[in-house]
Amino acid sequence: MSVELKKPTLKDYKGDQPTWCPGCGHFSVMAGLQRALVNLGLHPHEVIIVSGIGCSSKLPEYTRAYGFHTIHGRALPVAQGAKLAAPEMHVIVTGGDGDGYGIGAGHFVHAVRRNMDITYLVMDNSIYGLTKGQTSPTSPHNFVSKTTVKGNKEYPMDGLSIALANGATFVAQAFSGDVKRMTEIIEAAIKHKGFSLVNVLSPCVTYNKVNTYDFYREHLVDVPEPLPTREEAIRVVKEHGGHVHGILYVEKRPDFQTLLGIDWKMRDIAAGPMDEATIREIEAEFM
Amino acid sequence: METIRTLEWKVGGQQGEGIDSTGEIFARTLFRYGYYVTTYKQFMSRIKGGHTNYKLRATPYPTQHAGDFVDILLALDDETIPINRHELRPGAIVIQEGKETAIREEDGYLLAVFPLKAIATELGNPLAKNMIALGMSGALVSLPVEEFYAFIEKQFEKKGEKVIASNKAAVDKGYALVREHLADRMKRLEPLPRSTERLYISGNEATAFGSFMAGCRFLSAYPITPASEIMEWMAAHLPAVGGTILQVEDEIAGITFAVGAAYAGARAMTSTSGPGMSLKTEALGMAAMSETPIVIVDSQRAGPSTGLPTKHEQSDLFHMLFATHGEIPRIVVYPSSIEDAFYVAAEAFNLAERYQTPVILALDLVLSMNRTTIPRIDAKRVPIDRGKIVTPEEAKKYGEFIFKRYRFTEDGISPRALPGNPYGVHTASSNEHGEDGYITEDPVIRTKIMQKRMEKVKTARLSRPFYVQDGEADVMLVGVGSARGVIEEVARRLREDDGVTVGGLFIQQLKPLPVEELRPYLAGKRMIITVENNYSGQLLQWLRQHFPIHDRSTAITQYDGNPFRVTRVAGEVKEVLDRVRRAQEAHA
Ligand SMILES: Cc1ncc(C[n+]2csc(CCOP(=O)(O)OP(=O)(O)O)c2C)c(N)n1
Ligand code: SF4
Ligand SMILES: [Mg+2]
Repeated sequence: MSVELKKPTLKDYKGDQPTWCPGCGHFSVMAGLQRALVNLGLHPHEVIIVSGIGCSSKLPEYTRAYGFHTIHGRALPVAQGAKLAAPEMHVIVTGGDGDGYGIGAGHFVHAVRRNMDITYLVMDNSIYGLTKGQTSPTSPHNFVSKTTVKGNKEYPMDGLSIALANGATFVAQAFSGDVKRMTEIIEAAIKHKGFSLVNVLSPCVTYNKVNTYDFYREHLVDVPEPLPTREEAIRVVKEHGGHVHGILYVEKRPDFQTLLGIDWKMRDIAAGPMDEATIREIEAEFM
Repeated sequence: METIRTLEWKVGGQQGEGIDSTGEIFARTLFRYGYYVTTYKQFMSRIKGGHTNYKLRATPYPTQHAGDFVDILLALDDETIPINRHELRPGAIVIQEGKETAIREEDGYLLAVFPLKAIATELGNPLAKNMIALGMSGALVSLPVEEFYAFIEKQFEKKGEKVIASNKAAVDKGYALVREHLADRMKRLEPLPRSTERLYISGNEATAFGSFMAGCRFLSAYPITPASEIMEWMAAHLPAVGGTILQVEDEIAGITFAVGAAYAGARAMTSTSGPGMSLKTEALGMAAMSETPIVIVDSQRAGPSTGLPTKHEQSDLFHMLFATHGEIPRIVVYPSSIEDAFYVAAEAFNLAERYQTPVILALDLVLSMNRTTIPRIDAKRVPIDRGKIVTPEEAKKYGEFIFKRYRFTEDGISPRALPGNPYGVHTASSNEHGEDGYITEDPVIRTKIMQKRMEKVKTARLSRPFYVQDGEADVMLVGVGSARGVIEEVARRLREDDGVTVGGLFIQQLKPLPVEELRPYLAGKRMIITVENNYSGQLLQWLRQHFPIHDRSTAITQYDGNPFRVTRVAGEVKEVLDRVRRAQEAHA
């Protein structure tokens, strides 16, 4: 069935009523994402948004598109499975720092090195929001919370460097305090053919009194242009303690599905009898 | 010369020394000679070294059991005889690799020692010592040597004339040695009509083949014995039809990739064994909660934990029936033969999509890895049914901004729109949700949608949810999976040797259990005996939940890592029968 489609607008993307706390950084991430999708002329039915569990992971409920609100830490594998089956869809993954760098960290590294053509927005507030304020993998050293009462004795995880070191082809950091820049970054990430990581610094106004809007406004260092090599990108991230802003590194490389070189037809299975000729052909292996 | 119609043969040696392929060559040769061949491999969780053996049983009738005894044993290492001696049939012949040729009667068997390696080296190919032993095996049953030639030509086609010639020479040598030293022990395996209507196939291959034919185009998994072959078979076959497998980072990814692919509209599966099954349990709940159709294969091995990684068991039944938090609809099927593995796997995809829920397909190590002889595939038996997937036209009729993916319907199954459908936009959710997929905590909706999910699978049925044999007998032996092979043999033996008829019931659909259909074969019987490879009699406990059989049922169990021997089970069944008879007499 061919469908006449009007140009998409923000209204098309309006989903359920958000329940986030007023001022939560996640509002801006959603605004940036929706704006980017509209700017790219994509319709909600051409997009799948997959999330894990957390305040951030509620985004697919609040954005009208195909979506899957999965379980804690498993958004990336669900999203990659969907992309394999429906390569024509634009697959976006959203979730928190706990979801992606804690419980889902194993999947994160492998998604990076697999380089499928999907976009991963980590809505990083350095806290477990939905479970009411525990220390997260990106909470600063000595961060005090209900679970690190004498201060966090671990050191924060550096998702950007992990991605860069493992061959990510698009790595960026955005900030909920700058929706305009974020929209540009997300647009570029979606357009990028391959795995794109956008770590969005997205303050939790309720539980994190350290990593606030003001904190980031004060500390973020602008990276106006992607850096020439991944080594240089890692160096810059390290130099500024991760407080960088912009697209850090981009590399053109065939994505996973292109490399597999398969004529993708996973969904084309029609109801009806099995194909007898194929059965006979395969049976020969067993005779 | 004595004519025989069955042969039980075994080759034993060190792992990594071609024991498997030696067994396979003989198995395939006998299969082409017209016999029904069933094999069983015993191996350890290491790659080089350690004893391994390959058992083969050739019969003129179909069977699923590789047999209790051995007529000819090839002992290619020192451990073969001590480990396998108890299986030797009186009068068996053992061919052993040794320093010099010697033939002597041992206690109950004939030991024939030959310096196989030296002979092979003399022939110019030390690697061909197994082929000499194979030639001897063929000669001992008067198999025409051309049967081996045909196989060798095909097997070594790519390696060239020289390799073919040296392997043929090795086989010839085996025949010559038997004629020279063992002529009086030769028998004649009766030639049977050859058939092109049969396949020689393993349970893993049949499962993969069935899934492939059902339209499964994606398999994500993590390697594990005894399930890996399913992934490997699919890896070889899927790309040509626009699909792929993915060896992913762990078993959680195995199931969640499959869930994603299924959500997007592919027929998708994951395959694993117990340890992987444990990791998958949270995502199993997600598949059910989001009403996403996937197929999960659990090829069971001996647990718990890492357990005996290369040994057989049927101890994940409870896990498959109950695992995951909360309550979910699920369908659990368990093919009772290698042939059924094809059809049950194919139907699993239909059930998954028709009922929009996960289907767990149970296998066990013996069912997975044994090969046997089955009739060719009946292409018409399982037509593909994709359930309630809606087209754009159909979705448009609802006229909804947010498509109600979890719409309440009479049968509890909601129309399903696939991503890309312009009129089906929705979010699937692992949180409790209303008809539109959005989170809700409304107690009324929660209750209603819980009922919808749980009740929709009630009518799910495999086309053959169970098999019955001698269903009118008042004692029934009940089993799942590979237990069918032993039960059929036990029933045969009791009938032939003791004139006793016991029934056999082989359940292929464990959940939802087809209680009404099963009732005639379970209720009102004198005795129900389950035959199962686990400690707690899990199948028996599951049946007792559904039938009032507590005072007349028992389980014959074994959990030493090995499959049942017919002799042992037949003996125990007779004991149970005696007990029942004595109790009745005392009563009278
Ligand atoms: C397996 C599992 N463990 C724990 C939880 C509880 N849980 C829900 S959200 C969450 C952390 C969320 O933190 P993050 O991903 O950073 O998202 P945020 O709420 O901060 O946006 C946890 C631990 C769960 N849902 N599932
Ligand atoms: S708790 Fe924090 S992360 Fe969650 S909605 Fe409120 S402000 Fe946002
Ligand atoms: Mg967080």
